[in-house]
Amino acid sequence: MSRRGARQGALYRAVRQMRENPWLTSVAVSTLTVALAIVGAYLTLVLNLDTAGRRLTTGAALMVVLHDDVSPSDGASLAREIIHWPQVVRARFVSRGEALARFRRQLGPHAGLLDGLGANPLPNAVEVELTPGIDGTETVVPRLAKLVQVAEVVTSRPWLNRLEQAMTVMGRLALAVGGLLFLGVVLLSTNTVRLAVYLRRDELEIMDLVGASTDYVRVPFVLEALLQALLAAGLASLLLWALLGLLGAPAELPLGVRLSEILRLPPQVPVVLAGVGALAGVLGGMLGVGRVLRNQVRR
Amino acid sequence: MVRLHQVTKHFPGRARPALKDVSFRVAPREFLFLNGPSGAGKTTLLRLLYGADFPTSGTVTVGKADLGRLSGRKLPRLRRRVGVIFQDFRLVPRRDVFENVALALRVAGGRGKSLVERVEKTLAMVELLDKADARADTLSGGEQQRVAVARALVGRPALLLADEPTGNLDPDNGRRVMQLLADFHARGATVMVATHDPGLLAQAGGARVLHLRDGRLEESP
Ligand SMILES: Nc1ncnc2c1ncn2[C@@H]1O[C@H](COP(=O)(O)OP(=O)(O)O)[C@@H](O)[C@H]1O
Ligand SMILES: [Mg+2]
Repeated sequence: MSRRGARQGALYRAVRQMRENPWLTSVAVSTLTVALAIVGAYLTLVLNLDTAGRRLTTGAALMVVLHDDVSPSDGASLAREIIHWPQVVRARFVSRGEALARFRRQLGPHAGLLDGLGANPLPNAVEVELTPGIDGTETVVPRLAKLVQVAEVVTSRPWLNRLEQAMTVMGRLALAVGGLLFLGVVLLSTNTVRLAVYLRRDELEIMDLVGASTDYVRVPFVLEALLQALLAAGLASLLLWALLGLLGAPAELPLGVRLSEILRLPPQVPVVLAGVGALAGVLGGMLGVGRVLRNQVRR
Repeated sequence: MVRLHQVTKHFPGRARPALKDVSFRVAPREFLFLNGPSGAGKTTLLRLLYGADFPTSGTVTVGKADLGRLSGRKLPRLRRRVGVIFQDFRLVPRRDVFENVALALRVAGGRGKSLVERVEKTLAMVELLDKADARADTLSGGEQQRVAVARALVGRPALLLADEPTGNLDPDNGRRVMQLLADFHARGATVMVATHDPGLLAQAGGARVLHLRDGRLEESP
């Protein structure tokens, strides 16, 4: 008789109604899983591209062009001096000959173009690499420019600024798309709850008639939606992890970004999916039951 | 206990009102029959008393509560104090007899030993204790009617409303149900029974009878 005396709280009733409608529960969990996996794939891409972009836009190399009268040995000692500056990780002298050879390599089959040039047009230079995350525009760059040996400091700043602007716009776009995806999950959850309520409308009406409060009726459905969403978030994370593992071949993309870095599951994603799922579940649960209860016998 | 004052109920799309200018009072501990042919408005009237519907005009008072002004929060509390035996039973088919009866207590937060004892005692009263584990949809009509009675009584309501409580029963089962209602009344409850069956009135001796016809009241002399 203890089973009968047990309190049938909202969680108990939520689990009971999920077990009584296994078909609806599995449809709900699988559609939510797919929806959350899409959110997760999108989130993975946004987060990983953001990381890659941040690496590109910070800690970039500066090219310090030397005057023509600076000898290679002076250039090399300058490089040894600069490397001790704060915020500098690497400084290496690149002779005009080495620069030309590198250019040739980069041109590959088109290297013949350089043969028409006659004399080497490239200057001696020092390549300086800053600590990742440091923007040297206002510190290192002016200090380098003041050195007597230096003709010009070439930075990729203007170009990077544009990239950063583009990334900000993309970020907003990403937020908008993310919002739409979230809305989709909420609607999905709402409709599932509505269906669940519809399937037990007789019982709900009886509960209402014998004096159940609105919360007594509503909370199990909200919990049901929450449980389903959390389950779906877990499954979606697993699905994504497996999928990315299959796709993430160690291929190299332009700008030194590795494919496997873009196609790896950021640790935040399962957490965010659980959060998004929970929020969507609760919202969907409330919206789903609210509507039905208002349509019931109560004014 | 119950007071209706100039109550009229129109249903949308119906030319004739289901209830027309109905006024009466029911004293505490009274046993009252609501009699009239099918379609007279008996069910409509009872529904007004537990807030399942609301009058188009007029006021309905149960205890101290004016049902027209009751907030959404207070209506469930009122319903826990009013036991209703529905014309169509309103049992949850997939739950067993015990849970169907226990529901009336659970919605009010009931649990534990006291809940089990009260449900079992009530089931014994309606002679269904041996069917406690049977699903409601496996019972005969007479048994379902008694489960509905048990659920209405288990919370010991001050007011009991019964809508055609013998309408689906053979005479023997009908008498058993009427006896249960009479016993409950004897223990101090106010009871209102809606019926179209004149035989039932004869059976219940000196109780007061309200006659409804086409939504209008004609009190018996
Ligand atoms: N929800 C409703 N919508 C429209 N008409 C209704 C509704 N409920 C009852 N009626 C009408 O109101 C009148 C009284 O019905 P009812 O109260 O069920 O009578 P009784 O219970 O005495 O048989 C009938 O004409 C019935 O058709
Ligand atoms: Mg009726």
